[in-house]
Order: sequence, then C-alpha cells, then structure tokens
Amino acid sequence: MSGANEYTVRAPSVPRMWSGSKMAGRLLGTAVIVALAAMPFVGNAYTTTFIFSVLIAYILAQSWDWVAGEMGYVNLGHYCFYGIGAYGFAIALTGHWPFVVALGFAVVVTGLVALFVSVPLFRLHGDYFAFGTLALLPLMEVLAYNLTPITNGADGVVLPVAQVLKPAYLLALAACVITFLATLRINRVRFGYALKSIRNDEQVAETVGVRIGPVKRKVLVLSAVFGALAGALQAWQMSYIDPATVFGLNVALVPVAMVLFAGSGLRWGPLVGVVVLASMQQWLLVSVQGYQAALYGLTILLIGRFMPGGFLRAKWVRRVPLLSSLAREHHEYNGESAPLTRSTADLPLKRLPVDRQKPLIELQDVRMQFGGNVAVNDISLKIMQGEIIGLVGPNGSGKTTLFNCISRVYTPTAGRVMFAGQDLSQLGRDQIARLGVGRTYQIPRPFGDLTVQENIAIPLMFGDDPLSPRDALREARAFVEYAELSPRLLARADALSVQEKKALEFARALACKPRLLLVDEVASGLTPAEVKRFVEHIRHVRDRYGITVIWVEHIFSALQQVVDRVIVLEQGSLIADGALSDVVKDERVLRTYLGTAAAAHAPQPAIGPLASGAA
Amino acid sequence: MSFDVLLQVLIGGVLLGGLYALVAFGLSLIYGVVRILNFAHGTLLAVSGVLASLAFSAWGMQPLLIAALLAPLMFVCAYGYYHLLLRPLTKRNHFESTVGTVLVTVGTLMMLSDITAKAAGATQRNIPLRLPAIEFGEIVISTTQLLILAGIVLLTVVMHLLLKRTWFGRAVRAVTQDATGAQICGVQSTRIKALTFAFGSATVAIAAVLYVLSFPVDPYMGFGLTVKAFTIIVVGGIGNLPGALAAGVFLGVAEGLTGLYWKPEWAPAISVVAMLLILVVFPKRVGARI
Amino acid sequence: MLNITNLKVDHGKLRALWDFSLRVAPGERVGLLGANGAGKSTAMGAIIGLYPSAAGSIEYDGKPLKRVSTEQTVAGGIALVPEGRRLFAGMSVLENLLMGAFAAKTRKDIEGPLDTVMALFPILKQKAKQHAGELSGGQQQMVAIARALTSSPKLLLLDEPFIGVAPKLVDEILDALRLIASGGVTMVLVEQNTHRALDFVERAYVIENGRTVLEGNRDALLNDPTFSSKFLGLE
Repeated sequence: MSGANEYTVRAPSVPRMWSGSKMAGRLLGTAVIVALAAMPFVGNAYTTTFIFSVLIAYILAQSWDWVAGEMGYVNLGHYCFYGIGAYGFAIALTGHWPFVVALGFAVVVTGLVALFVSVPLFRLHGDYFAFGTLALLPLMEVLAYNLTPITNGADGVVLPVAQVLKPAYLLALAACVITFLATLRINRVRFGYALKSIRNDEQVAETVGVRIGPVKRKVLVLSAVFGALAGALQAWQMSYIDPATVFGLNVALVPVAMVLFAGSGLRWGPLVGVVVLASMQQWLLVSVQGYQAALYGLTILLIGRFMPGGFLRAKWVRRVPLLSSLAREHHEYNGESAPLTRSTADLPLKRLPVDRQKPLIELQDVRMQFGGNVAVNDISLKIMQGEIIGLVGPNGSGKTTLFNCISRVYTPTAGRVMFAGQDLSQLGRDQIARLGVGRTYQIPRPFGDLTVQENIAIPLMFGDDPLSPRDALREARAFVEYAELSPRLLARADALSVQEKKALEFARALACKPRLLLVDEVASGLTPAEVKRFVEHIRHVRDRYGITVIWVEHIFSALQQVVDRVIVLEQGSLIADGALSDVVKDERVLRTYLGTAAAAHAPQPAIGPLASGAA
Repeated sequence: MSFDVLLQVLIGGVLLGGLYALVAFGLSLIYGVVRILNFAHGTLLAVSGVLASLAFSAWGMQPLLIAALLAPLMFVCAYGYYHLLLRPLTKRNHFESTVGTVLVTVGTLMMLSDITAKAAGATQRNIPLRLPAIEFGEIVISTTQLLILAGIVLLTVVMHLLLKRTWFGRAVRAVTQDATGAQICGVQSTRIKALTFAFGSATVAIAAVLYVLSFPVDPYMGFGLTVKAFTIIVVGGIGNLPGALAAGVFLGVAEGLTGLYWKPEWAPAISVVAMLLILVVFPKRVGARI
Repeated sequence: MLNITNLKVDHGKLRALWDFSLRVAPGERVGLLGANGAGKSTAMGAIIGLYPSAAGSIEYDGKPLKRVSTEQTVAGGIALVPEGRRLFAGMSVLENLLMGAFAAKTRKDIEGPLDTVMALFPILKQKAKQHAGELSGGQQQMVAIARALTSSPKLLLLDEPFIGVAPKLVDEILDALRLIASGGVTMVLVEQNTHRALDFVERAYVIENGRTVLEGNRDALLNDPTFSSKFLGLE
C-alpha cells in the first residue's frame, strides 16, 4: 500500500472533480469572452449597446460587492463614484485632454474623493452607514446642478466624440475581465481575509492584528476606482451626461439590487444577478410604459422582504446541479486539504525566553470608569515572565474589564499599562496584538461565517511574523489539530457547539503567537476530566513555549493545579495578590466568597471550597 | 438687505425647522423602539402633502379635516406595513435583516414617489389658504404662519405628554432604553413596535398638512427630507424631543440664511455636509449601532 | 406552585438547558446554584417567557406555561429580577417602578404596591425623581427588586441580585427579602455564592451544564460530601 496511491484512492471526490471542472471552467470562460469580443463586429448596434450596459453594470456591481459582500458595509452611495468618474472624464475630454489622460484623471479624482469621504463615513456602522452613504447621492446631485462653471449644471456635458461604441465596448469587456480577476485575487490574498474578518467582528479582527482602518479605506478607494472607470466608459459611449442620469436615486440602486438579488459575497453572485436583472430590465423597458421606477422599487422591495440573502443562497438551489456550482461561497474554493506531514504534538510557536525576574506586564494605577460606575479602581500589579496567574473575583468585580483594558478594547480612564517595558497607551489594538497579547472571550466570538481553518489562519496572516494565506492555512492545521477540531476543519465557525467554539477561541488566541495569553473563563461547563485536560494545555503552553498566562476562572480546583499566584478582585479593587494557599486564608477574600453571615456559621472545613484547597 | 426680509427669512426658517424637527422626532422614536431606519420616512411627508393639497384643491376640504382624516389613515397603513413587510425580517440574521430593511424601505420610497408622481403630477403644490395678514408695525406675520406655529406647538406638547404621562409613552421609552427589561415588565414587544412605527408615521402625516400650508411639496422631495431628519437625530440624540427641536430650528434657519446670502439651490446640500462634518468632529454622537 | 419537569431550552441553534427540573411549593424559598454558564439565567428566562422551551413542561398553579407570553406570565403573578438588573437608566426611579406594574390587570391599584415597596426600601422614596442610571449599584438593585414587586407577584425570581452590590447593602437587601418572604411571596434565588444562598433558602438545586444534578434541603446539602465536588469542581 504505497502512500501516494492510498491518498489518491481515499481522497474525497471533490479535489479530482474540481481540477477537472477547473479546466472546463477556464475553457468555457475564455470561449465566452471571445464570443463577447466578437459581438460588436458581428451583431447589431442594439444588441451591442445592451451587452455594453450589462458589462458596465457588472463592473459597478462587483466593485460594490467588495465593500458590501466581502466586508459587510452596505455602501448605498456607490453610484457617486460612477457619477464623479463620468463627470471627471467628460470634463477632461471636453477640455481636449487625450483619452488616456482623461480616463486617468477621472479615476484618480474619484479615488481621492473616496479617500476623503471615508473619514466621516467609516465612523458609521450597519444601517447608519447605509444611510450616510445614500445621503451622498443627493449631495452630489446638488453639486452637479450648481457647480455650473465646472459641470454645466442642468444642461449636462456633451462629449466631443462620435461612434465610439466598438472601442468603448471592448474596453468595457476588458475592464470586466479585470474586475473578475481582481475579485478572485482579493479572495486569495490576505486583504480578502482582512475584509472578511471585519465583516464578522471588527473588534475581534483588530485584536488578532488586522489593521482595520487602512483596510476599510483601501477597499473603498478600490471600489471607487472601478466605479469611476465604469462611469467614464459609459459617459464616453453615451457622449452625454447630466445630473439626473448620473446621480438619480432610481438608477443608483440598480447595481446594488442586482447583486443582492443573486447573492452578495458569492463569487458568481454579481455576475448572475446582473445578467438576470439586466435582461429583465430590458424586457420591462420594452414592454411596460411608465411606472418603471415603481416597478423597480417593487422588485427591490420584494428582494428585501423575501430574499435578502440572494436567491443563490436559497436551500433549493443546492439541489440544482448547474446552479449549485454558481452558489459556492468563496471559502469553498480555498480549503487546504493536503495531509499534515509534521508531528502534531508541536505547535509552530517559538519558544520564548523566560526570565522570572523580569515583569512582562505591569499595571500602574489603572482605572476604568463608565460615567459614574468605576469598574476598575486604581489597580496596580506586576506579572513576571512565565507566570501563570489566576484572576478571581465575584461576577461584576472587573475581571473582564481588566482584560479589556490590557487588550485596548477599552482605553483606561487613568493609569498605565506597561508591556515588556512599553507603554501601551500610545498603541492601537492591532499593534498590541502584534506585540504579543492574545485573548479569549468569555462568550466565544469566532468569525462566524468563516471556517475553523480560516479563523485560525487569520491571526497567522496578520501577526508579527505574517504568513501568506496559503502558508497560514497550512500552519493553521497544526493549531486545529492541537485543539482537537480537525474533524471540523472546514466547518463554519458559527455551526460549532459552545465547547467547540471555546476550543477554537483558545487555538485562535495561540495562533496570535502571544507572549501574554489572557484566558477568560474557558472552563465553565466542562466536565472535570475536560477541565483537567485544559489545565494541561495551559501548563504546556507555559512550560514549552514560555507564554505567560492570566486566567480568569471560578473553578478553584482547576486553578489550584497550575497557578503560581492568584489575584483577587472585588468591585473593581484588588483585594489580594499572592500564592493560592495564602489568599484562601485572607479575611477579605473569605468574606467576598462566603459572605459574613455564612462565614460566621461556616460548617466543617472539608466542605468549604477554599478550605480544602488550603488543606 | 433690509431687516424685514431677514426677519421673514428667520421666521420661515424657524417654522420650517420646527416641522423638520417633528419629522425627525417621528423617525427617532421609530428608531429607538423598532431599531429600523425607515428610508421612506420623508417620502411619507411628500405623499401626505400631495394628498392634502389635492384634497384641498379638488374637494375643498379644510386643513383641519384633512389632518383629522390623514393621520388615522397613515396610522393604520403604517401598522399594517410593519407587520407585513418589516416584522418578518427581524427573524433573520443580522446582515440579512439590515440589508432586507434597507431594500424594503428604499423600494417603498421609489414606489411611493413614482406612483404619486404619475397619479398626481410631479409639480410642486401646496395649500394656499390666503388668510389676511396681521401687522405689527413694520412686521407682517401671515396668519398661515401663525397657524403653522400653533400646529407645531400643539403637536410637540401632545407628543411630550404622550411620552411622559401615558403608559404607551412609558413603554416606548422603556423599550428604547432596555428592550429585555421592558419585556420582563410585561411589555409586548411586537405590539409596541408596530404601534410606535404607526405613531411615528402618523406624526409625519400631520406635520405634512402643516408643511403644505406654507411650503411646497413634490413627490420626489422625500429622501432629501429623510436625510435632514437623520442629521437632526444625530445632533439632537435619539428620543430627545427638545434636542430635535433645537437642531431642527438650527437647520431650518441655516437653510434660509443660505438661500438669502448665497444661493437657494445650495440649501439641500447643507444637511448632508453638516452630517458629514458632525460625524468627523463628534464621532461618538451616533449611538453605538453596530 | 411551580413545577418544572425535564425542560429543554435552546438559544438559537445551541441547547442551553438539557434536562432541568425544579419544584417550588407556595411560600417556599428555593435556591438555584451552579457555575457560570450552567444555565441558571436561561432557566429563569424560560419561566418568565423570554425563551421558548423546546421540550419538557413548566406548570404554574397547575396550569402549563409553555405557550404563554411574558405579559400573561407577569399578569399571572410571576416577576423576575433579571441578571444585570435591566433598569431603564434614563427614566426616573418612580417610572421604573411604574413599569413593573405594566402588565398588572388593574393599573389603578398601583398605589398600594408602590407604598409597600417604598416602605421596604426607604431610599427609593428619597430618590424617586432621580434617573435610575445615576444610582449606585446597590440602590439600583433595590429599584430592580422593587420594580418586580409592584406587580404584587406571588412568585419572585431573583437572578444573581448581589452582583456589584456593596456588602452592607447586601445585608439590607437580604433583610428586605426576608420580610417579603414572610408576607407569603414564594421565591427562587439564583446565586453563585453558595453559602450566602444557603443562608437564605430552605432548599436548593444545583445545575451543571444545563442539567439539574443535585437537590436537597439546606442542611442535607451542607452535610453532603459530594455537594462541594459536584458544585465546586473539587475532586
């Protein structure tokens, strides 16, 4: 039984079929592009113009989906970029600039505008963002109407061109191909994963090292550039633009509706949506007089009400062979399924040097106040390299808030956090993550619509020593194996059970290659045997890799087995800091956990939770 | 620029701003309770205004009667709209319910504007009451403007009382501040959401009747108005009636002054630019809506 | 009075309660103990109607509670003091109390219960017009309990009412609770601090991973050697 043969025989049928259909797909695609390129030479002007409009719509739709489907920000003002590109190009051309320069000008100006508005716009999230971006359209329309010296106001701009359908068409076709290839590329490189992590949980994305600010700006500018290209080409072909045709509300949402109709965030979503709805629109235009805007509005309304995820995501689609291959999510094209060659006992983590005399992290009078509520009350503590610290205290005592202050989820109201001699107050969340702080959350926060493998690969891609997606996906398998989640490697993270999610959290935190690991109540809900195994993991990461651990936990027996020291919080203040055996005898601690009255008639010592620890 | 002209512009601006504030407050109530930004909110005013002016010119109805009929009609329609189109979306996941409500309300906006324009014409219209003016020396105040002012004040007082003194109002405020807490007090969330949506929309209908007494409406003005309402909410805060009034009046006066000292066509741009500026300078203003 | 058998409750796709059972007789004080994430809050939420139950039964006064809305449950005499209090921070203390009686069949009768709770927590009368968000943790907890009481409930559910409350106020609140109990109100107290709980209740249940694993009256539990290990995770 030679290894190679066995693999070929026992591998799932998908890879084999996939490579075959990949070839077929490429051939088909090339054939379609060639056929389309021939259209202006063999077909009539009407059909050519129709297909041209479909090409333009696709460029708009796909560039929109980079921001909406990939990153989760619904930019309803995307058409603004189209309009600015159109006007920029038209104005430059009427100024007798050469074609290429005019095109470049349009694209650059739009890109700059996008950069400029990204500052206020990205302060918004969710439906507020959708609203804010939609509000740009009437603004642009007013500017177009009123900046008459530049835009010629309501009269619009007539471009000094004639009969450019053929070249415009071919350029548009080329632009479409580039747009599609750009989409494929985005989903293969780190940038794509950054977008997807933001889509799922921006805050967590930052704490695993993703620079969300630059990523958001980049993708908006990118989508603006392509939108402007579409606008310029359309203006060229139509040889006339005016404010209403370019910024009107009824045309502005057409590309958006097209993508959402089929499925945002899917590889084929924008293309399928554009083709289907453009054809439908053509039919409407021809057969229905008047009320077109109302009908379009009705279509958008129905899509929103019944299929906001797009029809490609409906359950019945998976059963239809042709459609189901169009309905695949991006990550289904990406999975890394080559077998592991290395031994799985070893994680690809560097062994950190441990000097027990040097503090790794130091809190100096840290205070966190929310209005009148003081959650962390002037806490000072020092944790040495290589220590395992238990952080305990009743609910509401400020443990998670303390973690949030260290990882910069909150900015402390006062005080300093020093990490490896560096003051963290000047650093952003992603910088702190790359400096070596990894954490888990009390309620697991995985990147829900990404696979287990991708979840772990993302910190590896954005850490201090970043890997390419391919390498990251491969290295992620070691962590997945370590977390005993290999059977769930390609499962979506939001389909996991709570325990599996906790294991994923822990593995993802390790994938941040931390020097300091903040573990927030992972053991609750585990059986004693599972708790013991988890304790071993904690001990292992410290002994083998030199990771310092702060562990928030309620289960004393677990802490007892592995911690060097215990820190006790109560109502935001530090009330005890020392070896477990000493802390359990501390007056204040006993009162916190037992309550005065109970402490007064506490029964036999063998029962008390802390007493037996002391014994 | 004589003082009278300036004064007229200011008065007009204050009234317009007060009306903006009422529209904004309706949107803010809806948002606080139902957590939906109704993109078609301003279009409700456009459509109601067109209907009101039609009722006046074609059927000779008086504004008071029009308001008395329009408000309950809008209430019922909005209630049904919420149950039929918006409530089912709350059962979906976060991205789909956000996208879904945006699409549904934007689609509604497009449909309402187009159908109204096709049915009643796209030109501007209003209710020309032609009442005798009142003169205070050099200052001329039209009775119409007084009526509008009275209407705004009355509506504001009614809303304030409703919110502060009635069980419904208390429930609305409670749900806005802590929906789960309200639920365990026995507030039935679906019913309160539908009622608030209907109520916020009915408020717009009444504001529309006041609006057309002095200012023109057309079927396509809706979205611009919604943008202004949104800006007012951002500045004044969700559920804050005095804040909305202050912000609304400020916006109305700013628009008027822009028209006076610069060009009136630029007025619609102010609200958007103001919103963008505020977002840059005060990023925390918008409630944590993620 | 309250009889829960083999309850299963889901949170979305995940099962939070697998096999939860609890029985409370009228006038009893019962505790529900367990570690974080064991399902205590889910159980309370299920009783009051926040979460639908997937299987099992909840019976109150002999009648099933399964498809009953929160509004009807509260009107029927159950009130919850939820984890995290869930007060209306921008509304006055008085308004918060009024909201507690929202589901009451006769809102006109609110005078009586209002007087009672004001007598129970005198500080509320002092701060009646202040916004609830401005009060300290312990005072807020008093508001939360008082709010639940304004509907004159027969069964009071308290979910971790002492989080973030200064020890002195904890004692005050416990005294008030004892007074309420002596008036015949049945209570279920969810607590993390076992001894504080056992000090107050007569019987207790222990829940672990969504299942009821132990039950007994106070002395039996305190003397049970397996109690600490089952609940506190000691070996």
